[in-house]
Amino acid sequence: MNVTLTEKEILQEKTEYTGVHPQKFALWIAMASMTMFFAALTSALLVKKGDYRSWEGFTLPTVFLFSTFAVIGVSVCIHAALLSYRKSKFAQFRWLMFFSFLLGCLFLMLQLKGWSVLQAVGMTLTENLSGSFLYVITAAHGVHIAVGLLVMLVFIVNAFKNRKDPIYELRDIINPKRQLHLELLVSFWHYIDAVWVYLYIFFFLNYR
Amino acid sequence: METATAAHTDHHADVHGHEEHHHEETFLTKYIFSQDHKMISKQFLITGIFWGIVGGLLSVLFRLQLGWPNETFPFLESFLGKWAEGGKISQEFYYALVTMHGTILVFFVLTGGLSGTFANLLIPYQVGSRDMASPFINMLSYWFFLGAGVVMFFSFFIQTGPASGGWTAYPPINGLRDTAVNLGSGLGFDLWILGMTLFIVSALLGGLNYIATVLNMRTKGMNMFRLPLTIWALMFTAVIGVLSFPALLAGCVLLEFDRLLDTSFYLNNIIINGNLLGYKGGSPILFQHLFWFLGHPEVYIIILPAMGLVSEVLSTHSRKPVFGYKAMVFSILAILVLSFIVWAHHMFVTGLNPNLGAIFTLFTLLIAIPSAIKVFNWIGTVWRGKVRLSTANLFAIGFVSMFISGGLTGIILGNSAIDIQLHDTMFVVAHFHIVMGVSAFFGMFAGVYNWFPRLYGRYMNETLGLIHFYVTLIGAYAIFFPMHFMTGLPRRYYTYANFETFNNFNFLAEFISIAAIIVFLGQVLFVINFFYSIFKGRRVEVEKTVDGYDYGNPWGTTTLEWSSPIERLHGNWPGDIPAVHRWPYDYSVNGREYIPQTEALKPGEVPHE
Ligand code: HEM
Ligand SMILES: [Cu+2]
Repeated sequence: MNVTLTEKEILQEKTEYTGVHPQKFALWIAMASMTMFFAALTSALLVKKGDYRSWEGFTLPTVFLFSTFAVIGVSVCIHAALLSYRKSKFAQFRWLMFFSFLLGCLFLMLQLKGWSVLQAVGMTLTENLSGSFLYVITAAHGVHIAVGLLVMLVFIVNAFKNRKDPIYELRDIINPKRQLHLELLVSFWHYIDAVWVYLYIFFFLNYR
Repeated sequence: METATAAHTDHHADVHGHEEHHHEETFLTKYIFSQDHKMISKQFLITGIFWGIVGGLLSVLFRLQLGWPNETFPFLESFLGKWAEGGKISQEFYYALVTMHGTILVFFVLTGGLSGTFANLLIPYQVGSRDMASPFINMLSYWFFLGAGVVMFFSFFIQTGPASGGWTAYPPINGLRDTAVNLGSGLGFDLWILGMTLFIVSALLGGLNYIATVLNMRTKGMNMFRLPLTIWALMFTAVIGVLSFPALLAGCVLLEFDRLLDTSFYLNNIIINGNLLGYKGGSPILFQHLFWFLGHPEVYIIILPAMGLVSEVLSTHSRKPVFGYKAMVFSILAILVLSFIVWAHHMFVTGLNPNLGAIFTLFTLLIAIPSAIKVFNWIGTVWRGKVRLSTANLFAIGFVSMFISGGLTGIILGNSAIDIQLHDTMFVVAHFHIVMGVSAFFGMFAGVYNWFPRLYGRYMNETLGLIHFYVTLIGAYAIFFPMHFMTGLPRRYYTYANFETFNNFNFLAEFISIAAIIVFLGQVLFVINFFYSIFKGRRVEVEKTVDGYDYGNPWGTTTLEWSSPIERLHGNWPGDIPAVHRWPYDYSVNGREYIPQTEALKPGEVPHE
């Protein structure tokens, strides 16, 4: 007898020890892990900066301040999207998701702009260590943003594709799994946005 | 009676009432893209065994060189080709062998193989859950592990050979892609980085699942202090993994930037053939910090699961409760915390500030305390028990012996002043092979022999098992004990022929090589036993049959895994998940040999807690 339970059925039997859905909990652990990753990179930077012989400072291009605003915008927008989803205002939800996506893209473009400003002043990837660190850390963070954007895109495409389908929207209301997945996405975005804010402050203090 | 059965069947039908929705499993979904924790466990185990054979074989090859540096072995040329021209292992290949041996055994066997197998098998079973928090991510974890292995394996077959700059991947040698400097630093090392990156992703995906499952998906009544020590160990292992692997990833990212895009994170003023390369400002020591920030916790990632398995096996097979259960839990926790603040004991000779060295010495020696508590408790568990000399239990006892022997030399090495003499000598090799390599293997073997019936419904052969045990125990001591006395002999050398002082170790080197070959052959016995028993092993005895499901309990254990039928069902329990009423170590109490965790307390019975 080969009975296959679906993932959903298995999860329905979860017990409520932490009061959090196990997958959300798993995401938190992943966040701890990503935090360690960025902590490792930034502490590596600090160690090298302490080694005064090899550290040549420069001022952080102001573009990065604007990307910080962009990323905060994403957080606000996507959170609003989640709230309208919960209130079953799906049209509003779709557009807010769409704006979040645009803001996320804007963020990446501003980061690229930041790089080109650096290039313009001669601070290439290999020019010196302080520059190299800035490139690598922003790139590592950018990869996370890009992944977040991809997943966001899947949500948006689904939402727009099925916007005329009342059954689909009905399932949005009653299917806890779909809401869970949205919540996971939103948490991830809040997290990765916060990482950028941290990185920005860190850079701001260390590059002057 | 009639009605009772009827009610039972009804209930049964109820649970499976929605059977139409269940799609029948195909070969592909059952064996290949399985999301079932038990199948994933087998996948990890068998992949781990494969890597164990490869990694072991590599060590036999380099032991041929170390034991008989002046001999040639013509048969080597026929299957290694240019790597062993004239039957002598080339220098380049020797370093590749040492490097890949370390990488494979540390990461692919004792991390992926060990944690992957037992976390997957035991966590859902013993906490009382139908599967992992996310079975899908769990499957991905295996597939990343396999992918990492494929990449590493592939690197053996490229022109310049696999990585050869040591399992610790230090720059500067690994920071340059120049194969004129070191063959293995070419494409081989890029593949190493790629393989390790996939491996790290696998470890992270697996780890977050393990933690989420233990904390969220326990059955009714399974509070934290009713968890078996296996689960505590596996969970804390996962915590260490998710917090320390990212540091290695960061280190590897920077390293690959140096290699591919000419940044200078780790490189400074490098001169090759009289040419000054353009790297400036970097520091190879930075990599060592990032590496050992993972590297030291990594050794506990390897040993903690083994400790958990051993605690469980010792208690079961000695028919006695684990001695000092809570002390065990808090010792693991203490080890977890301390493991993050001792990494620089691997770097005492890097020009580390001596005052800092003293602090790291202090923390390092502190680890001896929880370690000693655990050893004491294991001995206390066995003490005056009705000890069964089963293979599983012998390996568990062997683990304790090995862990003590290797731990003692750790205390010696932990003193920065002494370590300056001993660093990078065979003494270190002896230390970590005994305390980590061999011990973890013993824990793993104890686990495999003990839980094989759970995986396959059959036992492994005991006679072969006993031979395997004695060959391994005696052989492993024969290999590593003499290394303590090869005073001053540097590790990782291709030959010592140019150093007259070391000539007097020639006999020992030969002796060690012979022992290594014998131990390797002993492991072949295990592999034969394993695969033979899958198909032909003695079946687990059926103790009772309920609703058409056969139940057994081969070792008479209290934990939940045997409250599930012998057959391995997806979802583990045909009906409801059983609730838990007591701690997992009620052995030889109330005049009973063992009381399962599922059994309710008798009126007036005082629970252990
Ligand atoms: C009382 C506990 C321990 C102490 C004080 C200790 C101390 C040390 C020290 C100081 C070193 C550096 C030696 C050198 O390179 O010069 C070392 C190496 C090592 N130890 Fe331990 N250790 C202990 C237990 C363990 C355990 C439990 C494991 C693994 C499970 C382990 C695995 C290793 C490994 C893998 C290395 C060498 C890695 C390499 O250089 O390739 N040690 N130990
Ligand atoms: Cu260490």
